Amino acid sequence: MDEMKIPDDGARPDNGHIPADPVQNGQQKLIVTDQSLYRKIIDNEKVSEVLYIVFNWLLVLVIIASLLAFFMYGVPAFQEIPLTKKTIINNSEELKKDALYKKQIILIKRDIQRLSRRYNSYTSGQSYLVINTTDNLFYLYRNKKLLRQGHCSTGSFKMLKTEEGRSWVFKTPKGKFWIHGKTENPPWRRPDWSFVEEGLPIPPQDHYSRWEYGVLGDYALSLGDGYLIHGTIYKRFLGMPVTHGCVRLNDNDLEAIFNTLNIGSKVYIF
Amino acid sequence: METGRIYTSSDRRAKIIAWIVIVIFFLIYYAVMAMLAPAKKMKALKSEYGYRQDENNPVDERIFSDSTYLDCLRNKSFLQSRVTIAATDSIYLSISLPDSTLNLEICGVTVHRAQIRRINISTIFSGGGNYVILSMLSNPFTISKNFSSIEKEPLMIKMAPKDTSEYVPDIIPDTADYEPVNYIMEMDNGIRLYIYQEDKLKPGDSLYRSLFDIYHRMRYAAKTFLRVITFRIPEYQPYIKLRIPRSDAKIIYRALPEKGQIALYP
Repeated sequence: MDEMKIPDDGARPDNGHIPADPVQNGQQKLIVTDQSLYRKIIDNEKVSEVLYIVFNWLLVLVIIASLLAFFMYGVPAFQEIPLTKKTIINNSEELKKDALYKKQIILIKRDIQRLSRRYNSYTSGQSYLVINTTDNLFYLYRNKKLLRQGHCSTGSFKMLKTEEGRSWVFKTPKGKFWIHGKTENPPWRRPDWSFVEEGLPIPPQDHYSRWEYGVLGDYALSLGDGYLIHGTIYKRFLGMPVTHGCVRLNDNDLEAIFNTLNIGSKVYIF
Repeated sequence: METGRIYTSSDRRAKIIAWIVIVIFFLIYYAVMAMLAPAKKMKALKSEYGYRQDENNPVDERIFSDSTYLDCLRNKSFLQSRVTIAATDSIYLSISLPDSTLNLEICGVTVHRAQIRRINISTIFSGGGNYVILSMLSNPFTISKNFSSIEKEPLMIKMAPKDTSEYVPDIIPDTADYEPVNYIMEMDNGIRLYIYQEDKLKPGDSLYRSLFDIYHRMRYAAKTFLRVITFRIPEYQPYIKLRIPRSDAKIIYRALPEKGQIALYP
């Protein structure tokens, strides 16, 4: 490859030209060097081949990205273009005077009233308890007004398995429940899992070792199927999902709930 | 003498042009097929929920373009839908778009309320002035599929110890455990409800949400693609995209049953 030759006029001051500024001269040299480097890169077959491949790949990537964008974003956007005729609201005064129209409006308003009454009848006017198992919080209501709220503990979502194939899932059930019974100073009758969990042999159903006193706090409210709302000796765990399915509360909250809810009161767990 | 085909640059150019034309035609065909889908869906909805004249109780059809009547119909549909679900004893979700609220309800009692921060809905729901759509909303939607970044029930399996020597007391659960909350619920009537976490609590939250969105867009695009290449009009699935706080999103997802129900007030 030929090197570009630069006429160095500045070296001959007697030819009538003004001598070149050394700084300007240096810039010119730098540009010329860059140009030659560029030419060198372009003229180099290997480099141009690599550049060609890179360009082709970039083109392919751009085409793929455009196609994906078309299928993923373009098409759903096209589908939202309203093609069907939209209802034009005209509110015709003539229609409003029509007896048939008035009848229809009366009928639909009557339906709304009927449905509203029915829907409102579902909302308990009595005391009820709401338990949030995700955040481990409770809310106590009376006549649709919030009386008290605080932390509780609910099911740990642990599944205990034995080698024999027995298993228990420790989760608090969700939905609508009601208070089946209220007990003061409740004893705890230990179920099978509480022995299995500690590696102890399971005693007979009426064995004395199944009964423990003082671990459930001062009160217990039964939700049916063995689930209770009760107190705890592990107060530092309140607000965490650590129980075997029951709802644990601190002493003051438990007392307030015990005194507010009656047998038959609703408990909503979600 | 052996004659070999010599490819000239003009041959190559012709090939490229042919391919470009084929691709453009395919894309136009694809777009047309996709755009036919909403009309097909509306036709199906009209045949299911459209008004049929009753000889004994005739209705002037101009009423369907009257705002007073349509407002009443919207209220009636929402109430009807909630009354239907409330009777089933289940946990359900009621969405009120004008109030920007999501209510988690059990038997008519609101147990949790979340504020919607951002709403993006299909054009068929916007305006809320279509008799067919309002009639459709009088029936609750039932969730048929869930796609989520979190588990519905985060079960942990623990093997029982063989004896007391193996017993290890439970460790306190790690409450600092963090995962972004984004999910899509597909309804039995083809509607898709997207619930994405709005707040950026960790640096990767936006990226994670975008990746989740792209993954599901790809899934739906693949579904549409398969139908279009087999010369069938793709299924149009209207969407409701909501952004709510992460804690509310998590509560709602964990509370709703797998086949939970939803009532919508557009």
